[in-house]
Parts: sequence; C-alpha cells; structure tokens
Amino acid sequence: MTHVPFSPIGAPRAQLCDDATFAAHAEALAEREARLHARRAEVAAGWGEEYAERVRAKGKLTTRERLQALADPGSRLHEVGTFVNYGERFGDKGLQSPAAGVVTAFARIEGRWCMVIANDNTVASGSWWPRTPEKIERAQTMALRLRLPTVYLVDCSGLFLPEQSRSFPGASGAGHIFKMNSLLSAHGVPQLAGVFGDCIAGGGYMPIISDRVYMTEQAYMVIAGAALIKGAKSQKITSLDIGGPEVHVHQSRCADVRVPDDATLLRALRQEVARLPSSAVGYYCGDAGPLDPVFPSAELQGLLPVDHREAYDAVQVLARLCDGSLFWEVMPESGEEMICGVGRVGGLHTGFVINRQGLVGDPERPGSRRPAGILYRAGIAKIAAFSRACNDDGIPLVWLQDIAGFDIGQEAERQGLLGYGSSLIYTNSTNQVPMFTVLLRKASGAGYYAMAGLPYDPVVQLSTTISRLSVMEGRTLAIATYNTKLDDDFEIMATDPGQRREIEQGMKAVEARIEQDMDPYLAARQLDTDEVVALHELRDWLRVLVEASYQAIGYRRVKNSRIWSLHDLQVLTGGPR
Amino acid sequence: MGAPTSFHRLFIANRGEVAVRIAKACDALGITPVLATSEADAGAAYLEGRESVCLGPGRAAQSYLDMVRVVQAARQSGCTALHPGWGFLAENPSFAALCESHGITFVGPPAHVMQLMGKKTPAKQAMRAAGLELIPGSDGVLTDVEEARAVADRIGYPVLIKAESGGGGRGMRIARGPDELAAAYADAQAEARAAFGDPRVYMERLVVGGRHIEIQVMADRYGQAVHLGERDCTVQRNHQKLIEESPSPVLPADVRARSLAAAVAATRRIGYVGAGTMEFLLDGDGVLRFMEMNTRLQVEHCVSEMRSGVDLVREQLRVAAGHPLSLRQDEIELCGHAIECRINAEDPSDGFRPAPGTITRWRSPGTADGRVRVDTHVGSGYRIPPHYDSLICKVIAHGPDRDAAIDRMLEALAELVCEGVPTTVPMHQAILASEAFRRHHYDTRGIPGWPWPRRHVS
Repeated sequence: MTHVPFSPIGAPRAQLCDDATFAAHAEALAEREARLHARRAEVAAGWGEEYAERVRAKGKLTTRERLQALADPGSRLHEVGTFVNYGERFGDKGLQSPAAGVVTAFARIEGRWCMVIANDNTVASGSWWPRTPEKIERAQTMALRLRLPTVYLVDCSGLFLPEQSRSFPGASGAGHIFKMNSLLSAHGVPQLAGVFGDCIAGGGYMPIISDRVYMTEQAYMVIAGAALIKGAKSQKITSLDIGGPEVHVHQSRCADVRVPDDATLLRALRQEVARLPSSAVGYYCGDAGPLDPVFPSAELQGLLPVDHREAYDAVQVLARLCDGSLFWEVMPESGEEMICGVGRVGGLHTGFVINRQGLVGDPERPGSRRPAGILYRAGIAKIAAFSRACNDDGIPLVWLQDIAGFDIGQEAERQGLLGYGSSLIYTNSTNQVPMFTVLLRKASGAGYYAMAGLPYDPVVQLSTTISRLSVMEGRTLAIATYNTKLDDDFEIMATDPGQRREIEQGMKAVEARIEQDMDPYLAARQLDTDEVVALHELRDWLRVLVEASYQAIGYRRVKNSRIWSLHDLQVLTGGPR
Repeated sequence: MGAPTSFHRLFIANRGEVAVRIAKACDALGITPVLATSEADAGAAYLEGRESVCLGPGRAAQSYLDMVRVVQAARQSGCTALHPGWGFLAENPSFAALCESHGITFVGPPAHVMQLMGKKTPAKQAMRAAGLELIPGSDGVLTDVEEARAVADRIGYPVLIKAESGGGGRGMRIARGPDELAAAYADAQAEARAAFGDPRVYMERLVVGGRHIEIQVMADRYGQAVHLGERDCTVQRNHQKLIEESPSPVLPADVRARSLAAAVAATRRIGYVGAGTMEFLLDGDGVLRFMEMNTRLQVEHCVSEMRSGVDLVREQLRVAAGHPLSLRQDEIELCGHAIECRINAEDPSDGFRPAPGTITRWRSPGTADGRVRVDTHVGSGYRIPPHYDSLICKVIAHGPDRDAAIDRMLEALAELVCEGVPTTVPMHQAILASEAFRRHHYDTRGIPGWPWPRRHVS
C-alpha cells in the first residue's frame, strides 16, 4: 500500500471553454503541429531516397530501418535532437546535415528503455558534422543520468573534414564522445555496439569500450582507412582487410562477434538486451498499473491558447497528464502562483511543478490579486522546498514552465528574491534526482532558470510548438534597449519626425529579432532544447522519461575485458619490444 | 465469533438491495459493514441496526457518485476496505486508485485492469489473444473511410460503426450496404467527437438478435481462476436484463465447455483479480462471441450462487484481503437450474414507466426450504426514492431442471404481494407462462410472451 493521499483534479472540457474557443485554439495549434510533422519527415528522409537506395544496394539497411528493427514491435521511438543543425549549411558546397547525421532516441528493447545512438548512413555516410559530437554526448549524458543501457549502431566515415575545426578540438569535440563511453562504463552502465560499415577514426573508437561489440561482414574499424594508408605508407589494401571482422573479432579482439548482415546483428543486440535484468517497473508500480487520465491528454491541444498572453487553468494541464487525473498537491496554502505535488505517470510516482496563469491572490495585499506566471517569494521558496524534497525522496521531477520571470521592483528586492532564487538555484544545481523540463509556452529570463531550464541540467528538456524561450519578450527588450529615449509611459520622447521614425524602426527590429529567436526550432537547432513535441504527445513522453527514471537495469561491476589495465601490464612486461 | 481474518470494518458504497446483499456477506465473515446512505435513503428500514454514513443529498452525483465524499466517509468511519457493489462507482478505475492511495482496499480488480477492460479495442485484443472468438470486425480503430469500406467488404454487411470511447448507444451507426457506409462513418465520428471528445471509431458486423450469454469468473491475486458456469440473459428490454437463468437452455455442450475454459484462461492472462463477468453473444451459427467484460459483481450473480452454493461476495472479500481462492474448479458443482426475475417498480402496461412511491403492503415469497431466494431491501411502508433505479426485489428459484425452476418461480411470484406501486411481476408471470419462453423461441430483440417493443406512451 502506498501512502500518497491523492485527490481527483480537473474538469471535463465542456465545462472549461465553449466549443468555438476550443476549436479555435486547436486549429491554431494544429497549423504549428502540422509544420512539426512535416519537418520531422523532412529530417527523417536524410539526404533522400537516392542515398537510401545506395545503402540498400549494398545489402544494408538504412539507419532508420535499423532502429525500427531494434525497437520492440509496435513501440514508438522517442527521438531527441531531431532538429540539431536544422536548416544550417556547411562546407563550400553548403551541405545540410539532417539530424546532424546521427539519430539519438529512447527506444524500448525487450521491455527495457535504452538510449540508441545511430549514425545516419543516408547523410554523408554517417559523418560527424559540427554539433554531431555534442548531440551524441547529450544522448550519452541522458543515458548516464538515467543509467540506461546504451546501444550504438555505428556506421561512420569519420569527421566531415571541411568543418573539422568546429567539431574536433574543443571541450566537447568528437573525442569527448569516447570520454563519455568511458564514464558510462565507469558507472557500470551497460553499453552495446553494432558495427555495420565504415568505422573510421572516431567511428572506430566509439564502439570499442562497449561491453559487447558485434560486426557484420561489411563492417570494418580502423584508426585510418585504406585511402590514408595508401598515402602514408604506400600500401594498397582494402579497409576491410585492415580492420574487418577477420582482424578485430579474431586477432585484435576489439570486437566480440561476427554476424552475416544487418538484420542478424539487430536480432543479436535484442538478445543481448534481453539478457539484462528486467526493468522492474512493475515492481515499482506496486498495485498501481498505468492508468489513463480521466480527461484525455489530447484535449491539451484546445486548452492551451497559442497566444502567450491568454490564460488557462494549470490544474487542467496536470489533470490531463496524471494517471486517473489524481494528484496530491503539497503546500497548497502558500505560493498560490505555483502548484507542486505528486501524481502518477504510467503507475509511477512523479513530482510536478507548474506555474499558474491569470491572477492569484497577493499575500502582501489581502483581498487584491496579482498576475501569476511570475515568481514571487513564497512561490520560489515553495518550489525550492519541493525540489529538495523530491531529490531527498528520489522522486523524478517534472517542471512545466510557462513563466514570464521573477517579480521585480523595490518590494521584490527588499524581500530578497535574489537570495531565495539562489537557494532554489543551489537546490536544482545539486539535485541528483532526474529532472525533466517542459517549456509549455513562455520560458523567459530568470523564470526559465528558476524552473530548471536547460542550464540546470534537466535530463531532458522538451519544447512545444508554442514555446517561447528568451531572456524576455521582444516588446520588453525593445523598451529596455531604447529606455533613455522613452518617457514613463514608454512613449517616444523625441518630437522630430525623422528621429521618431528611426527609434520606432529600431524598436520594431529588436522586437522582430527576439520573436525569431524564440522560435523553438532555433533552440532545437542549437541544442538549447532537446526536442520539439506536439502537446498531445506530452504524456507519452513523460511516461517514457519517468519509466526510464525508475528502471533498474543491472550495474556492471567488472569492466569488459577489452579495457582491462592488465593488458597494458602484459604488453609492458611480456618481453622485449 | 473472534476477530475476522480480514478487514474489521468495510464500507459499502452502495444502497438498497446491493448494500443489503454485501452486508450479509460481511456478517458471515464477522466484518462490520458501514453502509453509505443519502438524504433520500436515510431512515430506510434496511439501514436499521446497521452503521451508516450519510454522504449527501439524494441526487447520486452529490452522494453515491461523489468520489471524494465516499472515500472520506470510508476513512472517517474507520473502514479499511470498500465494496462498490454494482453501478455507481463500481467500474471507475480512478476511484479504485483513489481508494488505494488513501489506504482503503477497493474490492475489485486492479484499477489498470479495470481500465483495460473498459477500453473496447484493447479488451478485445486481449481476449482474442486468450483464445476467445470475437464478433468479426476491424482490427482496432479505423483510420479512414477507405479502411472502413475494406473491412465492411471483408466481414459483410450490415455493419455497426461504434465509438472507441463510447457507451450507451451514442456514437453508434448502422450501415446496411456500401451506399450507407460513408454517411454512417461520418455520423458516428461526429457524434463520438461531440459526446466523448474522441472521434475514433471501430467496426463490427451487426449481429441481429442472438442470445446474451455471460460467464462468471473469479480469480485471486496468485494466478488462480475459476468459472461458475454461464448465465443466459437474453430476456431484455432496451439492454436492461429482466430474467437471467443458468445454465443457458440453448448453448451446445461442446461450445459451453470450450468457452468456459477459454474464459478462465483469459481471466488469468489479463491478470484479473476478483469477480468478473465476460459477456458474449451467441449468434445464429452457434458461435459464442466475446463482447465485453464487466469488472464487477453483477445484479444476477445470485443465479450462479444458487447453482454452485458459492457465496461470491464472501469470496470477493477474502480475495481482496489477500487470501487465495478457497475454490478449485473440480470442487465446484453446478446443480440443476436456477432462474432470476428482477422485480422493478415500473408499470409494464404503461411503457415501463418508473413508479416511485410508497409500498403500502409488502410480502416476500417464502424460501421453500432454500429453493427460493429473495434479495430485497423493501418492506411494507418503504418509500421508493425517485433518484435511483427502480429495482426493488430479485426472486431466484432453483429446481432440478428448467421447467421445475420456472414452476417454482411462478409459485413464488404468486406469493409476492406488493401494493401501492405497480411492479413488473405481471410481466414476469406472462413471460414464464408463455410457450415462446418455455420452448426458448426468442432472442434479445423481443420479450417472449409480452408485447414489446411497442410505442411508448409519453
């Protein structure tokens, strides 16, 4: 018996808004989500059918076909970083790199959530572009934080050399992927690798630290490929001869098993995952299985207005995310602008923080109201205390942001919001529990930071198609920029028509630029958010992330024998060299 | 009697004969029942000598259906378990989860299993996987009208398009031929969207008539499951069952044996716990096809109890308290024939108009040495409140064979006296005496021996 005193929350859609309003909201959102689906399809197509055909002509599967075969039938891949590099062009030829040439996804394999990192062989033979290393490392970090078995589907012809200066040398340059391999291993996280084709240089290093490495007969792993050998050593030899399964499975022992083809390799990887301990999620659920919310989560499409100035009832959002629309709100008596509490997602207890919209009571002026969507003292203290408690208790924590920022002004400073905010920052920065952040709509300024935005290391941060991530709204920033030229009512003081026009245009330009910056795809392109999702997908995403947080996959105590230090000792002491 | 080996106090979140029935099982186990009541039911004779808590006004939404009030009442009255009975909150998974989260054991299956069986497509998929026959139809939800057309061509017209989130006949349309399909599909979708906020629809072949047969199952938490035979509930009016009997007089022996075994296998497979009923349609070809599972005890459970001698409520309470089933399939003997008549305070000669009012004189039939059972909460002077359903009494008769059971039922109904309100007794007498019923020439479309359907007088 669990001890969580839930209450039913939420109300039927018909009681919340009339059909016309609901339909208008849903329609406005549908337009944006149609764009999302079109862009996803565009990215998934890689460099197009022509390249996919080239892959198939070699008797290989495309990367996305591999992912489908690897994941449990009927399960959905939950991709992260889909829009990294979206729309950007590289090199002299202005080449695009859909998904940065690598697919990273939460995938359900034999009932266990895994992180799959798969070079896209339909995009420049799986080369690494600028931001490809960062995308891979981000996925590895997610796996490390959640202790998820990590599966590499390697098919990588190395760095995209024309842009090497942007992907090779820095702190997060390609080499850092292998550091992450090592850290995952050091933390006992199971890693598996399948090598399907070219694995040159970096591509060769990525699989080796894995516990088990499989190679197809078309795969080779080399520090340098045939072309380079030809240049450097004047030897004519194929890459397969240099580093194919004959060499690595049997001589170097850098790989474990050879298999004839892609399909067989994927089956073998599934079998490997099946040998791991069960996810034990049923055990953590206790008597509670997954329960749909009473109010369908698809209704979020019409309840959340696209216009960020329009209010909605945050409780209704929770009611459409929590199992059975049951929720235990804690500390409801203070900090009304914030709702903190526990619900179940897929049968598993989950902490939620969401800020209200519209107006809330003002404790400083009893009887009067002030806008929600802003962090006031009690709200800050409340979410800090709740965040600490969840961390102490190991409850995964979901932050749902639609926040304009901190309260400002003399009263705010006198109350010491900087101090309370810092306490919150300290808490979120030192939390060990998995945190997940969703930018429902506004994610402005310090509000974005306070509610565990990406700089505070949530394991995953999701944006919606209506997210607005920026320091402040464009209008506010324009006013701030032109502050000295405006009077107390934000009107332009200058009387000269030319000057006025100039200021007006300048302010408009600032506003327009900020509006552009707030495009969620821009954030996703720069890895400033992990994925853009449709509102009706949100609950499904939370189910995956929460289940992955609970999942207890085995801890590996003894390192895989490939990376034992004993080998170094053996080389050093094994005789004259 | 010493302390019970289960819950000490149990909250009955129901009223009328349901509450009386459950309280009786509590008495047998030494559990103190606490009965829910409303302002409309408070003071009723069936509550005398019982502990009760008034939940609120007569309107069910503010009393028997108010989840938070019910859980509060159960906790405040010191109960550790809650029996929902049937109707009201009995099939509300969110309520079951709410009870559990407040430390109150919900007597019923786990919430997620309840929800799974409440969803049309997943329930059917689970049952098909367990080896039960289904009504031919689409493989889950239809994606578009083209798919609908293809499915209809495969299974044959007429077809029924039904809402995935539907119920109560809403979001349901019939297409008798290809020319009606597109309109039926669009109408069903539109109605489903308007009524349930979910436009998803699926398709089934329209089975006209047929016999309604259901299988009673019972399972514990440890993977053991048994059946208590089938019930034939074909005599219905507007999907309201009137007469139920066991065994079904028309079910071939081989189909019975196969279906009972499959139902038990399905119960195990879905991880079911407690008492449940799988409802089937026996079509013209003699195939028993799964329709839905009721995740609760049913009104007509008494029929199975009369044949098996098992107290299903008592077994439910034991299972809820973690006991393994006390029954083994080979120990369950189903004897003779049992039949139940539901007596409603309705006027069958006036379009079954409900007739709340005061029963000025009441006499229950005698029990004929246990061959007749009467489940009721009414007596002389009982005032039938207008807020709830109109069932006032169930009479169950047992005999060595069907004819004997029917004859005994007729004797019992003749003994029953109810003055002050009209009842459905005359209708039952007409049905039981009819050739059509005796020779089982009827299906769910009409009432044997009674002129229905017919126009209602408003």
